[in-house]
Amino acid sequence: MAKKMTIALYTGSFDKLTATGVIINGAVADDMDVEIFVLLMGAHAFKKENIGKTDHMAELADKKEEFIASLKQLKLPTWMEFFKTAKEMGNVHIHICGLAGKVWQGVEIEQFNELADDICGIGEYIASAQTADVNLFI
Amino acid sequence: MTTEELKNLKIDKVVDARGTACPGPLMATKKTIGEMKPGEIVEVLSSDPATKRDVPKWAVKKEYQYLGDILEDGFFRLYIKK
Repeated sequence: MAKKMTIALYTGSFDKLTATGVIINGAVADDMDVEIFVLLMGAHAFKKENIGKTDHMAELADKKEEFIASLKQLKLPTWMEFFKTAKEMGNVHIHICGLAGKVWQGVEIEQFNELADDICGIGEYIASAQTADVNLFI
Repeated sequence: MTTEELKNLKIDKVVDARGTACPGPLMATKKTIGEMKPGEIVEVLSSDPATKRDVPKWAVKKEYQYLGDILEDGFFRLYIKK
């Protein structure tokens, strides 16, 4: 049976979303199942109208230009491209927390980008995290 | 394997991941190996130093045979047998 990673994805900042993208690609390369539960600020980044607009940095905000220039030089995919690759190559499911969705006026899954699979409650995250081999809060 | 032996291997697939950063080379290798038959050999080209640690460990964990690597000018050639 495949090992499982669960992630409580609270962040809506592209620096941490990029790091998350790297981690889930690594997990998929190792054939792990990945379940991501998108919480409060994360749900903002997953709203359809915010595609390509997530430009807030959680850390070292004053180094944003240097950071973006480095990512470009390294030809690193965007956080959404990272997530897309992970979903194409592995067993990755992305759940939007129902409360988080409501905070950003998103009650239907169609209001979120194509990465999001469904909307669920916190109980589902807790149950899944209890059986995970790796659990992260980002 | 010696460098000479590695150079004489019959290569079935080449993954040219030069110019991409981690985890690009690893993902490209996984994708290609997934399309290969057991016993076939892939040559991975990478300019990312982390690949030289990452890919061999991953290959062994996945029960592929890591055959070795050759250092070229600014990049590595890594050899894995499925």
